[in-house]
Amino acid sequence: MVALLATVPWWGSAVLVQFGINALILATLAQSWNIIGGYTGYPSFGNSVFYGLGGYGVAIAMVQYGLPFPVGMAIGVGLAGAFAILLGLPVCRLRGHYFAIATLGLAEVMTAIVSNLEIAGRNVGLILPLVKGDALFFESSLALLVVTTLTVAWISRSRFGFALIAIRENEQAAAVMGMNTTLYKILAFALCSVFAAVAGGIHAYWITYLDPGSAFDVTLNVKMIIMAVFGGAGTIFGPVLGAFVLSGISEILAAKVTSLASVFFGIVIVAAIVFMPRGCADFVRNFRHLGWRYFQENIRTYRV
Amino acid sequence: MQLLWQILVNGVLLGGLYALMALGLVLVWGVLNIVNLAHGALIMLGAYACYYLFTGLGLDPFAALPVAMVLLFCLGYLVQRYVLNLIIRAPMFNTLLITFGLEVVITYLAQMIFSADFRTVNPSYAGANFIFLGATVPLVRLLAFGVALGLTFALWLFLERTRIGRAIRATAQNLIAARLYGVNPRNLYALTFGIGAALAGAAGTLYGVVSQINPYIGAGLTGKSFAIAIIGGLDKSIYVLIGGLFLGIVEAVTALYIGPTYTDVVSFGILVLVLIVRPTGLLGRTA
Repeated sequence: MVALLATVPWWGSAVLVQFGINALILATLAQSWNIIGGYTGYPSFGNSVFYGLGGYGVAIAMVQYGLPFPVGMAIGVGLAGAFAILLGLPVCRLRGHYFAIATLGLAEVMTAIVSNLEIAGRNVGLILPLVKGDALFFESSLALLVVTTLTVAWISRSRFGFALIAIRENEQAAAVMGMNTTLYKILAFALCSVFAAVAGGIHAYWITYLDPGSAFDVTLNVKMIIMAVFGGAGTIFGPVLGAFVLSGISEILAAKVTSLASVFFGIVIVAAIVFMPRGCADFVRNFRHLGWRYFQENIRTYRV
Repeated sequence: MQLLWQILVNGVLLGGLYALMALGLVLVWGVLNIVNLAHGALIMLGAYACYYLFTGLGLDPFAALPVAMVLLFCLGYLVQRYVLNLIIRAPMFNTLLITFGLEVVITYLAQMIFSADFRTVNPSYAGANFIFLGATVPLVRLLAFGVALGLTFALWLFLERTRIGRAIRATAQNLIAARLYGVNPRNLYALTFGIGAALAGAAGTLYGVVSQINPYIGAGLTGKSFAIAIIGGLDKSIYVLIGGLFLGIVEAVTALYIGPTYTDVVSFGILVLVLIVRPTGLLGRTA
Protein backbone atom coordinates (compact mmCIF):
# COMPACT_ATOMS: atom_id res chain seq x y z
CA MET A 1 0.00 0.00 0.00
CA VAL A 2 2.72 2.43 1.07
CA ALA A 3 4.95 1.28 -1.79
CA LEU A 4 2.12 1.89 -4.23
CA LEU A 5 1.54 5.37 -2.83
CA ALA A 6 5.25 6.11 -3.07
CA THR A 7 5.18 5.66 -6.85
CA VAL A 8 2.42 8.25 -7.37
CA PRO A 9 4.80 11.12 -8.32
CA TRP A 10 6.07 9.06 -11.28
CA TRP A 11 2.73 8.40 -12.93
CA GLY A 12 0.27 10.82 -11.33
CA SER A 13 -0.60 14.21 -12.77
CA ALA A 14 0.68 17.40 -11.12
CA VAL A 15 -2.79 18.01 -9.68
CA LEU A 16 -2.93 14.53 -8.19
CA VAL A 17 0.52 14.92 -6.60
CA GLN A 18 -0.41 18.26 -5.10
CA PHE A 19 -3.69 16.88 -3.80
CA GLY A 20 -1.65 13.95 -2.43
CA ILE A 21 0.75 16.20 -0.51
CA ASN A 22 -2.14 18.04 1.10
CA ALA A 23 -3.95 14.81 1.96
CA LEU A 24 -0.78 13.24 3.40
CA ILE A 25 -0.08 16.29 5.57
CA LEU A 26 -3.68 16.37 6.79
CA ALA A 27 -3.48 12.64 7.52
CA THR A 28 -0.30 13.23 9.54
CA LEU A 29 -2.01 16.01 11.48
CA ALA A 30 -5.10 13.88 12.13
CA GLN A 31 -2.85 11.04 13.25
CA SER A 32 -0.85 13.27 15.58
CA TRP A 33 -4.08 14.64 17.04
CA ASN A 34 -5.10 11.01 17.57
CA ILE A 35 -2.38 10.64 20.22
CA ILE A 36 -3.76 13.35 22.50
CA GLY A 37 -7.39 13.32 21.35
CA GLY A 38 -8.05 9.71 20.40
CA TYR A 39 -5.92 7.74 22.86
CA THR A 40 -5.75 10.15 25.80
CA GLY A 41 -9.25 11.55 25.28
CA TYR A 42 -8.23 15.21 25.53
CA PRO A 43 -9.86 17.34 22.80
CA SER A 44 -6.92 19.56 21.93
CA PHE A 45 -7.52 22.66 19.84
CA GLY A 46 -3.87 23.65 20.18
CA ASN A 47 -2.38 21.28 17.61
CA SER A 48 -2.58 23.97 14.95
CA VAL A 49 -0.19 25.96 17.17
CA PHE A 50 2.41 23.20 16.86
CA TYR A 51 1.84 23.13 13.11
CA GLY A 52 2.29 26.89 12.92
CA LEU A 53 5.38 26.90 15.12
CA GLY A 54 6.96 24.23 12.90
CA GLY A 55 6.26 26.35 9.85
CA TYR A 56 7.54 29.53 11.48
CA GLY A 57 10.67 27.77 12.77
CA VAL A 58 11.56 26.84 9.20
CA ALA A 59 10.53 30.19 7.73
CA ILE A 60 12.36 32.38 10.26
CA ALA A 61 15.54 30.28 10.10
CA MET A 62 15.62 30.26 6.29
CA VAL A 63 14.44 33.80 5.55
CA GLN A 64 15.89 35.82 8.42
CA TYR A 65 19.11 33.88 9.05
CA GLY A 66 19.73 32.04 5.78
CA LEU A 67 20.02 28.67 7.52
CA PRO A 68 19.35 25.40 5.67
CA PHE A 69 15.96 23.65 5.86
CA PRO A 70 16.91 20.86 8.32
CA VAL A 71 18.22 23.38 10.87
CA GLY A 72 15.00 25.34 10.55
CA MET A 73 13.03 22.16 11.02
CA ALA A 74 14.98 21.37 14.20
CA ILE A 75 14.26 24.88 15.49
CA GLY A 76 10.56 24.53 14.65
CA VAL A 77 10.27 21.15 16.36
CA GLY A 78 12.18 22.50 19.36
CA LEU A 79 9.85 25.48 19.63
CA ALA A 80 6.75 23.31 19.37
CA GLY A 81 8.07 20.77 21.88
CA ALA A 82 9.02 23.48 24.37
CA PHE A 83 5.62 25.11 23.92
CA ALA A 84 3.86 21.77 24.47
CA ILE A 85 5.80 21.02 27.67
CA LEU A 86 5.72 24.52 29.18
CA LEU A 87 2.05 25.17 28.47
CA GLY A 88 1.11 21.54 28.91
CA LEU A 89 2.06 21.82 32.58
CA PRO A 90 -0.86 24.09 33.49
CA VAL A 91 -3.24 23.27 30.63
CA CYS A 92 -3.11 19.48 30.89
CA ARG A 93 -4.58 19.73 34.39
CA LEU A 94 -7.85 20.97 32.90
CA ARG A 95 -10.49 18.54 31.75
CA GLY A 96 -13.15 18.24 29.09
CA HIS A 97 -14.54 21.46 27.70
CA TYR A 98 -12.14 23.51 29.76
CA PHE A 99 -9.11 21.85 28.19
CA ALA A 100 -10.64 22.36 24.74
CA ILE A 101 -11.24 26.05 25.36
CA ALA A 102 -7.87 26.68 27.01
CA THR A 103 -6.07 25.20 24.01
CA LEU A 104 -8.34 27.19 21.69
CA GLY A 105 -7.43 30.32 23.64
CA LEU A 106 -3.72 29.51 23.34
CA ALA A 107 -4.12 29.16 19.59
CA GLU A 108 -5.74 32.61 19.39
CA VAL A 109 -3.05 34.14 21.60
CA MET A 110 -0.28 32.67 19.43
CA THR A 111 -1.88 33.98 16.22
CA ALA A 112 -2.12 37.44 17.73
CA ILE A 113 1.42 37.40 19.14
CA VAL A 114 3.03 36.20 15.92
CA SER A 115 1.19 38.79 13.85
CA ASN A 116 2.87 41.43 16.04
CA LEU A 117 6.42 40.02 15.78
CA GLU A 118 8.86 41.81 13.50
CA ILE A 119 11.01 38.70 13.02
CA ALA A 120 7.97 36.70 11.83
CA GLY A 121 6.99 39.31 9.26
CA ARG A 122 3.99 40.56 11.30
CA ASN A 123 0.65 40.30 9.53
CA VAL A 124 2.21 40.17 6.08
CA GLY A 125 4.06 36.91 6.66
CA LEU A 126 7.26 35.50 5.19
CA ILE A 127 8.15 34.30 1.71
CA LEU A 128 10.44 31.27 1.60
CA PRO A 129 12.95 30.41 -1.14
CA LEU A 130 11.24 28.55 -3.98
CA VAL A 131 12.10 24.90 -4.50
CA LYS A 132 10.81 22.96 -7.51
CA GLY A 133 10.09 19.34 -6.80
CA ASP A 134 6.63 18.26 -5.75
CA ALA A 135 7.87 14.65 -5.89
CA LEU A 136 10.33 15.29 -3.07
CA PHE A 137 7.65 16.92 -0.92
CA PHE A 138 5.29 14.05 -1.67
CA GLU A 139 7.83 11.47 -0.57
CA SER A 140 8.79 13.32 2.58
CA SER A 141 5.12 13.82 3.55
CA LEU A 142 4.51 10.14 2.95
CA ALA A 143 7.55 9.20 5.04
CA LEU A 144 6.33 11.47 7.84
CA LEU A 145 2.87 9.89 7.77
CA VAL A 146 4.40 6.40 7.91
CA VAL A 147 6.59 7.34 10.88
CA THR A 148 3.63 8.93 12.68
CA THR A 149 1.41 5.91 12.05
CA LEU A 150 4.14 3.52 13.20
CA THR A 151 4.49 5.58 16.37
CA VAL A 152 0.74 5.38 16.97
CA ALA A 153 0.87 1.62 16.32
CA TRP A 154 3.64 1.37 18.90
CA ILE A 155 1.66 3.48 21.36
CA SER A 156 -1.39 1.27 20.99
CA ARG A 157 0.48 -1.76 22.32
CA SER A 158 3.01 -0.21 24.68
CA ARG A 159 2.90 0.50 28.38
CA PHE A 160 2.84 4.21 27.54
CA GLY A 161 -0.22 3.73 25.34
CA PHE A 162 -2.05 1.72 27.99
CA ALA A 163 -1.39 4.56 30.41
CA LEU A 164 -2.96 7.03 27.96
CA ILE A 165 -5.98 4.79 27.42
CA ALA A 166 -6.34 4.41 31.18
CA ILE A 167 -6.46 8.20 31.45
CA ARG A 168 -9.12 8.35 28.74
CA GLU A 169 -11.28 5.67 30.33
CA ASN A 170 -11.04 6.83 33.93
CA GLU A 171 -8.47 9.37 34.94
CA GLN A 172 -9.23 9.23 38.63
CA ALA A 173 -8.85 5.47 38.74
CA ALA A 174 -5.56 5.74 36.85
CA ALA A 175 -4.29 8.31 39.35
CA VAL A 176 -5.37 6.14 42.28
CA MET A 177 -3.40 3.25 40.79
CA GLY A 178 -0.32 5.40 41.27
CA MET A 179 0.08 6.80 37.76
CA ASN A 180 1.47 10.28 37.31
CA THR A 181 -1.33 11.23 34.92
CA THR A 182 -0.12 14.80 34.35
CA LEU A 183 3.28 13.53 33.22
CA TYR A 184 1.73 11.09 30.75
CA LYS A 185 -0.60 13.75 29.37
CA ILE A 186 2.27 16.20 28.86
CA LEU A 187 4.31 13.48 27.14
CA ALA A 188 1.40 12.74 24.81
CA PHE A 189 0.99 16.47 24.13
CA ALA A 190 4.73 16.83 23.40
CA LEU A 191 4.76 13.76 21.17
CA CYS A 192 1.94 15.01 18.98
CA SER A 193 3.58 18.46 18.87
CA VAL A 194 6.66 16.95 17.19
CA PHE A 195 4.72 15.39 14.31
CA ALA A 196 2.50 18.42 13.80
CA ALA A 197 5.56 20.71 13.77
CA VAL A 198 7.35 18.62 11.12
CA ALA A 199 4.19 18.62 9.02
CA GLY A 200 3.99 22.41 9.38
CA GLY A 201 7.63 22.80 8.36
CA ILE A 202 7.23 20.67 5.25
CA HIS A 203 4.04 22.45 4.28
CA ALA A 204 5.57 25.92 4.71
CA TYR A 205 8.60 25.00 2.59
CA TRP A 206 6.34 23.52 -0.09
CA ILE A 207 3.88 26.45 -0.22
CA THR A 208 6.84 28.90 0.15
CA TYR A 209 4.61 31.37 1.95
CA LEU A 210 3.55 31.72 5.55
CA ASP A 211 1.27 34.16 7.35
CA PRO A 212 -0.19 34.05 10.88
CA GLY A 213 -3.76 33.52 9.71
CA SER A 214 -3.05 30.36 7.76
CA ALA A 215 -0.24 29.00 9.98
CA PHE A 216 -2.27 29.02 13.19
CA ASP A 217 -5.63 28.45 11.53
CA VAL A 218 -8.04 27.00 14.09
CA THR A 219 -10.14 25.60 11.24
CA LEU A 220 -7.20 23.36 10.40
CA ASN A 221 -7.29 22.05 13.94
CA VAL A 222 -11.01 21.36 13.62
CA LYS A 223 -10.27 19.52 10.37
CA MET A 224 -7.77 17.27 12.17
CA ILE A 225 -10.41 16.42 14.77
CA ILE A 226 -13.11 15.80 12.19
CA MET A 227 -10.84 13.56 10.14
CA ALA A 228 -9.76 11.59 13.18
CA VAL A 229 -13.29 11.23 14.54
CA PHE A 230 -14.76 10.48 11.10
CA GLY A 231 -12.22 7.71 10.55
CA GLY A 232 -12.28 6.50 14.14
CA ALA A 233 -10.42 8.22 16.97
CA GLY A 234 -8.27 5.95 19.10
CA THR A 235 -7.62 3.47 16.29
CA ILE A 236 -4.40 3.08 14.31
CA PHE A 237 -5.65 3.55 10.76
CA GLY A 238 -8.89 5.44 11.42
CA PRO A 239 -7.45 8.98 11.24
CA VAL A 240 -5.55 8.20 8.02
CA LEU A 241 -8.65 6.73 6.43
CA GLY A 242 -10.74 9.69 7.59
CA ALA A 243 -8.23 12.19 6.22
CA PHE A 244 -8.08 10.50 2.80
CA VAL A 245 -11.84 10.07 2.48
CA LEU A 246 -12.72 13.60 3.62
CA SER A 247 -9.94 15.22 1.55
CA GLY A 248 -11.23 13.30 -1.45
CA ILE A 249 -14.83 14.34 -0.81
CA SER A 250 -14.00 18.01 -0.38
CA GLU A 251 -11.73 17.96 -3.46
CA ILE A 252 -14.46 16.46 -5.64
CA LEU A 253 -17.06 18.84 -4.22
CA ALA A 254 -14.77 21.81 -4.84
CA ALA A 255 -14.36 20.73 -8.47
CA LYS A 256 -18.07 20.00 -9.13
CA VAL A 257 -20.00 22.60 -7.17
CA THR A 258 -17.63 25.37 -6.24
CA SER A 259 -19.92 27.60 -4.22
CA LEU A 260 -21.75 24.81 -2.44
CA ALA A 261 -18.63 22.79 -1.55
CA SER A 262 -18.22 24.20 1.94
CA VAL A 263 -21.93 23.85 2.71
CA PHE A 264 -21.83 20.18 1.67
CA PHE A 265 -18.72 19.67 3.76
CA GLY A 266 -20.58 21.00 6.78
CA ILE A 267 -23.54 18.72 6.04
CA VAL A 268 -21.18 15.73 5.73
CA ILE A 269 -19.81 16.53 9.20
CA VAL A 270 -23.28 16.82 10.74
CA ALA A 271 -24.53 13.64 9.05
CA ALA A 272 -21.41 11.70 10.01
CA ILE A 273 -21.76 12.69 13.67
CA VAL A 274 -25.45 11.76 13.72
CA PHE A 275 -25.21 8.46 11.85
CA MET A 276 -21.67 7.23 12.52
CA PRO A 277 -20.63 8.80 15.83
CA ARG A 278 -17.90 6.22 16.40
CA GLY A 279 -16.27 6.66 13.01
CA CYS A 280 -15.71 4.61 9.87
CA ALA A 281 -13.69 1.96 11.71
CA ASP A 282 -16.66 1.10 13.90
CA PHE A 283 -19.01 1.33 10.91
CA VAL A 284 -16.99 -1.22 8.93
CA ARG A 285 -16.86 -3.55 11.93
CA ASN A 286 -20.58 -3.48 12.75
CA PHE A 287 -22.41 -2.68 9.53
CA ARG A 288 -21.99 -6.24 8.22
CA HIS A 289 -24.13 -7.93 10.85
CA LEU A 290 -26.37 -4.99 11.78
CA GLY A 291 -27.09 -3.63 8.30
CA TRP A 292 -29.19 -0.50 8.17
CA ARG A 293 -30.11 -1.00 11.82
CA TYR A 294 -26.57 0.23 12.59
CA PHE A 295 -27.60 3.86 12.01
CA GLN A 296 -30.78 3.42 14.01
CA GLU A 297 -28.86 1.90 16.91
CA ASN A 298 -26.44 4.83 16.99
CA ILE A 299 -29.19 7.40 17.15
CA ARG A 300 -31.02 5.41 19.78
CA THR A 301 -27.89 5.32 21.95
CA TYR A 302 -27.26 9.05 22.04
CA ARG A 303 -30.62 10.75 21.57
CA VAL A 304 -32.68 12.11 24.41
CA MET B 1 -7.44 61.34 32.53
CA GLN B 2 -10.08 62.69 30.17
CA LEU B 3 -8.99 60.10 27.62
CA LEU B 4 -9.08 57.25 30.12
CA TRP B 5 -12.61 58.26 31.18
CA GLN B 6 -13.73 58.24 27.56
CA ILE B 7 -12.12 54.83 27.05
CA LEU B 8 -13.86 53.45 30.13
CA VAL B 9 -17.23 54.71 28.88
CA ASN B 10 -16.59 53.08 25.49
CA GLY B 11 -15.51 49.84 27.18
CA VAL B 12 -18.60 49.67 29.37
CA LEU B 13 -20.96 50.34 26.45
CA LEU B 14 -19.26 47.66 24.35
CA GLY B 15 -19.14 45.30 27.33
CA GLY B 16 -22.92 45.29 27.70
CA LEU B 17 -23.25 44.08 24.14
CA TYR B 18 -20.52 41.48 24.70
CA ALA B 19 -22.43 40.19 27.71
CA LEU B 20 -25.57 39.73 25.64
CA MET B 21 -23.54 37.85 23.02
CA ALA B 22 -22.24 35.45 25.65
CA LEU B 23 -25.56 35.03 27.45
CA GLY B 24 -27.07 32.58 24.95
CA LEU B 25 -23.86 30.56 24.80
CA VAL B 26 -23.74 30.32 28.58
CA LEU B 27 -27.40 29.27 28.84
CA VAL B 28 -26.97 26.47 26.29
CA TRP B 29 -23.67 25.36 27.78
CA GLY B 30 -24.95 25.34 31.33
CA VAL B 31 -28.22 23.53 30.63
CA LEU B 32 -27.48 21.25 27.66
CA ASN B 33 -23.74 20.83 28.23
CA ILE B 34 -23.21 21.73 24.57
CA VAL B 35 -20.42 24.16 23.76
CA ASN B 36 -22.09 25.74 20.78
CA LEU B 37 -19.44 26.65 18.20
CA ALA B 38 -22.23 27.89 15.92
CA HIS B 39 -23.25 30.59 18.42
CA GLY B 40 -21.35 33.32 16.56
CA ALA B 41 -22.98 32.24 13.31
CA LEU B 42 -26.39 32.68 14.93
CA ILE B 43 -25.37 36.18 16.02
CA MET B 44 -24.39 36.84 12.40
CA LEU B 45 -27.84 35.64 11.23
CA GLY B 46 -29.47 38.01 13.71
CA ALA B 47 -27.44 40.87 12.29
CA TYR B 48 -28.56 40.04 8.74
CA ALA B 49 -32.18 39.68 9.84
CA CYS B 50 -31.95 43.22 11.18
CA TYR B 51 -30.22 44.45 8.03
CA TYR B 52 -32.91 43.09 5.71
CA LEU B 53 -35.78 44.21 7.92
CA PHE B 54 -34.22 47.68 7.98
CA THR B 55 -33.35 48.03 4.29
CA GLY B 56 -36.22 45.96 2.90
CA LEU B 57 -39.16 46.94 5.11
CA GLY B 58 -37.75 50.16 6.52
CA LEU B 59 -38.18 48.81 10.04
CA ASP B 60 -36.23 50.63 12.75
CA PRO B 61 -33.40 48.34 14.01
CA PHE B 62 -34.73 48.43 17.56
CA ALA B 63 -38.19 47.45 16.28
CA ALA B 64 -36.59 44.72 14.17
CA LEU B 65 -34.99 43.23 17.28
CA PRO B 66 -38.03 41.26 18.52
CA VAL B 67 -38.68 40.00 14.98
CA ALA B 68 -35.08 38.79 14.70
CA MET B 69 -35.41 37.11 18.10
CA VAL B 70 -38.56 35.25 17.06
CA LEU B 71 -36.96 34.10 13.79
CA LEU B 72 -33.82 32.89 15.55
CA PHE B 73 -35.89 31.22 18.27
CA CYS B 74 -37.71 29.15 15.64
CA LEU B 75 -34.46 28.22 13.93
CA GLY B 76 -32.82 27.28 17.23
CA TYR B 77 -35.83 25.25 18.35
CA LEU B 78 -35.88 23.24 15.11
CA VAL B 79 -32.12 22.65 15.08
CA GLN B 80 -32.13 21.32 18.62
CA ARG B 81 -35.34 19.31 18.20
CA TYR B 82 -34.40 17.56 14.97
CA VAL B 83 -30.58 17.53 14.91
CA LEU B 84 -28.85 18.13 18.22
CA ASN B 85 -31.29 16.09 20.30
CA LEU B 86 -30.17 13.04 18.30
CA ILE B 87 -26.62 13.21 19.66
CA ILE B 88 -26.97 15.02 22.95
CA ARG B 89 -25.71 12.12 25.04
CA ALA B 90 -22.72 11.40 22.76
CA PRO B 91 -19.14 12.14 23.89
CA MET B 92 -18.03 15.75 23.95
CA PHE B 93 -16.03 15.65 20.67
CA ASN B 94 -19.18 14.79 18.83
CA THR B 95 -21.23 17.65 20.20
CA LEU B 96 -18.35 20.06 19.53
CA LEU B 97 -17.93 18.79 15.99
CA ILE B 98 -21.59 18.83 15.08
CA THR B 99 -21.93 22.47 16.15
CA PHE B 100 -18.82 23.24 14.11
CA GLY B 101 -20.48 21.52 11.14
CA LEU B 102 -23.55 23.71 11.68
CA GLU B 103 -21.33 26.78 11.83
CA VAL B 104 -19.82 25.88 8.46
CA VAL B 105 -23.23 25.28 6.91
CA ILE B 106 -24.70 28.54 8.24
CA THR B 107 -21.67 30.66 7.35
CA TYR B 108 -21.36 29.48 3.76
CA LEU B 109 -25.09 29.50 3.10
CA ALA B 110 -25.04 33.08 4.36
CA GLN B 111 -22.16 33.85 2.03
CA MET B 112 -24.16 32.49 -0.92
CA ILE B 113 -27.41 34.22 -0.02
CA PHE B 114 -26.21 37.52 1.45
CA SER B 115 -22.90 37.79 -0.52
CA ALA B 116 -19.58 38.47 1.20
CA ASP B 117 -19.93 42.27 1.07
CA PHE B 118 -19.69 44.33 4.22
CA ARG B 119 -23.07 45.71 5.32
CA THR B 120 -24.03 48.40 7.77
CA VAL B 121 -27.33 49.29 9.37
CA ASN B 122 -27.53 53.08 9.35
CA PRO B 123 -30.66 54.52 10.94
CA SER B 124 -31.09 58.30 10.71
CA TYR B 125 -29.90 58.76 14.29
CA ALA B 126 -26.71 56.69 13.74
CA GLY B 127 -24.42 59.68 14.19
CA ALA B 128 -26.22 61.22 17.18
CA ASN B 129 -24.34 61.56 20.43
CA PHE B 130 -24.29 63.59 23.63
CA ILE B 131 -21.75 64.58 26.24
CA PHE B 132 -21.91 62.86 29.61
CA LEU B 133 -19.50 64.19 32.27
CA GLY B 134 -17.05 65.16 29.56
CA ALA B 135 -17.20 61.86 27.65
CA THR B 136 -18.89 61.52 24.27
CA VAL B 137 -21.64 58.90 24.34
CA PRO B 138 -22.96 57.69 20.95
CA LEU B 139 -26.72 57.31 21.17
CA VAL B 140 -26.99 53.95 19.38
CA ARG B 141 -24.34 52.43 21.59
CA LEU B 142 -26.13 53.61 24.69
CA LEU B 143 -29.44 52.21 23.38
CA ALA B 144 -27.75 48.92 22.52
CA PHE B 145 -26.26 48.84 26.01
CA GLY B 146 -29.67 49.48 27.56
CA VAL B 147 -31.37 46.75 25.53
CA ALA B 148 -28.57 44.31 26.40
CA LEU B 149 -29.00 45.04 30.11
CA GLY B 150 -32.77 44.73 29.81
CA LEU B 151 -32.56 41.34 28.10
CA THR B 152 -30.06 40.03 30.64
CA PHE B 153 -32.45 41.06 33.41
CA ALA B 154 -35.41 39.55 31.53
CA LEU B 155 -33.60 36.22 31.19
CA TRP B 156 -32.80 36.23 34.89
CA LEU B 157 -36.43 36.94 35.73
CA PHE B 158 -37.58 34.23 33.34
CA LEU B 159 -35.28 31.60 34.82
CA GLU B 160 -36.07 32.53 38.42
CA ARG B 161 -39.78 33.23 38.33
CA THR B 162 -41.54 31.21 35.62
CA ARG B 163 -42.50 27.54 35.56
CA ILE B 164 -40.51 26.85 32.40
CA GLY B 165 -37.54 28.72 33.82
CA ARG B 166 -37.60 26.52 36.91
CA ALA B 167 -37.85 23.43 34.72
CA ILE B 168 -34.80 24.59 32.76
CA ARG B 169 -32.78 25.15 35.92
CA ALA B 170 -33.90 21.82 37.34
CA THR B 171 -32.83 20.02 34.17
CA ALA B 172 -29.43 21.71 34.32
CA GLN B 173 -28.96 20.47 37.87
CA ASN B 174 -30.25 16.93 37.54
CA LEU B 175 -31.83 15.53 34.37
CA ILE B 176 -33.14 12.32 35.95
CA ALA B 177 -34.81 14.08 38.86
CA ALA B 178 -36.31 16.64 36.48
CA ARG B 179 -37.73 13.85 34.31
CA LEU B 180 -39.28 12.22 37.36
CA TYR B 181 -41.10 15.47 38.01
CA GLY B 182 -42.59 15.38 34.52
CA VAL B 183 -40.17 17.52 32.52
CA ASN B 184 -40.06 16.45 28.88
CA PRO B 185 -36.38 16.91 28.02
CA ARG B 186 -36.86 16.80 24.23
CA ASN B 187 -39.09 19.81 24.27
CA LEU B 188 -37.26 21.58 27.08
CA TYR B 189 -33.86 21.23 25.41
CA ALA B 190 -35.28 22.58 22.15
CA LEU B 191 -36.85 25.47 24.06
CA THR B 192 -33.56 26.26 25.83
CA PHE B 193 -31.55 26.19 22.61
CA GLY B 194 -34.25 28.33 21.01
CA ILE B 195 -33.93 30.92 23.77
CA GLY B 196 -30.13 30.83 23.39
CA ALA B 197 -30.53 31.42 19.65
CA ALA B 198 -33.03 34.24 20.26
CA LEU B 199 -30.51 35.95 22.56
CA ALA B 200 -27.89 35.52 19.83
CA GLY B 201 -30.36 37.10 17.40
CA ALA B 202 -30.84 40.08 19.70
CA ALA B 203 -27.07 40.46 20.14
CA GLY B 204 -26.66 40.25 16.36
CA THR B 205 -29.23 42.99 15.76
CA LEU B 206 -27.40 45.32 18.14
CA TYR B 207 -24.03 44.33 16.71
CA GLY B 208 -25.30 45.23 13.24
CA VAL B 209 -26.21 48.69 14.50
CA VAL B 210 -22.86 49.49 16.13
CA SER B 211 -20.51 47.70 13.72
CA GLN B 212 -20.07 46.38 10.17
CA ILE B 213 -21.27 42.87 9.35
CA ASN B 214 -20.27 40.16 6.90
CA PRO B 215 -20.91 36.38 6.84
CA TYR B 216 -17.57 35.58 8.52
CA ILE B 217 -17.93 37.52 11.76
CA GLY B 218 -19.30 34.43 13.53
CA ALA B 219 -16.11 32.61 14.50
CA GLY B 220 -14.52 35.63 16.16
CA LEU B 221 -17.71 36.39 18.09
CA THR B 222 -17.88 32.78 19.29
CA GLY B 223 -14.33 33.22 20.61
CA LYS B 224 -15.24 36.39 22.47
CA SER B 225 -18.35 34.75 23.91
CA PHE B 226 -16.17 31.90 25.19
CA ALA B 227 -13.80 34.31 26.89
CA ILE B 228 -16.72 36.01 28.66
CA ALA B 229 -18.33 32.70 29.62
CA ILE B 230 -15.07 31.53 31.15
CA ILE B 231 -14.34 34.80 32.96
CA GLY B 232 -17.84 35.01 34.39
CA GLY B 233 -18.55 31.32 34.92
CA LEU B 234 -21.71 29.45 34.04
CA ASP B 235 -23.71 29.96 37.21
CA LYS B 236 -25.71 33.17 36.94
CA SER B 237 -26.67 35.57 34.18
CA ILE B 238 -25.48 38.52 36.30
CA TYR B 239 -21.96 37.03 36.27
CA VAL B 240 -22.06 36.93 32.48
CA LEU B 241 -22.85 40.63 32.54
CA ILE B 242 -19.84 41.32 34.76
CA GLY B 243 -17.66 39.14 32.49
CA GLY B 244 -18.83 41.08 29.45
CA LEU B 245 -18.20 44.48 31.03
CA PHE B 246 -14.78 43.30 32.21
CA LEU B 247 -13.80 42.17 28.70
CA GLY B 248 -15.13 45.34 27.11
CA ILE B 249 -13.12 47.56 29.47
CA VAL B 250 -9.97 45.44 29.18
CA GLU B 251 -10.13 45.54 25.38
CA ALA B 252 -10.66 49.31 25.32
CA VAL B 253 -7.79 49.94 27.74
CA THR B 254 -5.47 47.56 25.87
CA ALA B 255 -6.23 49.25 22.58
CA LEU B 256 -5.28 52.60 24.13
CA TYR B 257 -2.14 51.73 26.09
CA ILE B 258 -0.60 48.73 24.29
CA GLY B 259 -2.04 48.91 20.79
CA PRO B 260 -5.20 47.80 19.00
CA THR B 261 -3.49 44.74 17.49
CA TYR B 262 -2.90 43.37 21.00
CA THR B 263 -6.55 43.21 22.15
CA ASP B 264 -6.83 39.54 21.16
CA VAL B 265 -3.58 38.64 22.94
CA VAL B 266 -4.88 40.20 26.13
CA SER B 267 -8.46 38.90 26.01
CA PHE B 268 -7.49 35.32 25.16
CA GLY B 269 -4.50 35.51 27.51
CA ILE B 270 -6.93 36.37 30.32
CA LEU B 271 -9.15 33.49 29.19
CA VAL B 272 -6.28 31.00 29.47
CA LEU B 273 -5.07 32.45 32.79
CA VAL B 274 -8.53 32.32 34.33
CA LEU B 275 -8.93 28.71 33.18
CA ILE B 276 -5.65 27.73 34.75
CA VAL B 277 -6.16 29.57 38.02
CA ARG B 278 -9.91 29.12 38.46
CA PRO B 279 -11.56 26.79 35.94
CA THR B 280 -15.09 27.52 37.20
CA GLY B 281 -14.82 31.20 36.31
CA LEU B 282 -13.66 34.14 38.38
CA LEU B 283 -17.07 34.47 40.01
CA GLY B 284 -18.37 30.91 39.76
CA ARG B 285 -18.62 28.36 42.52
CA THR B 286 -15.53 26.28 43.21
CA ALA B 287 -16.07 22.81 41.78
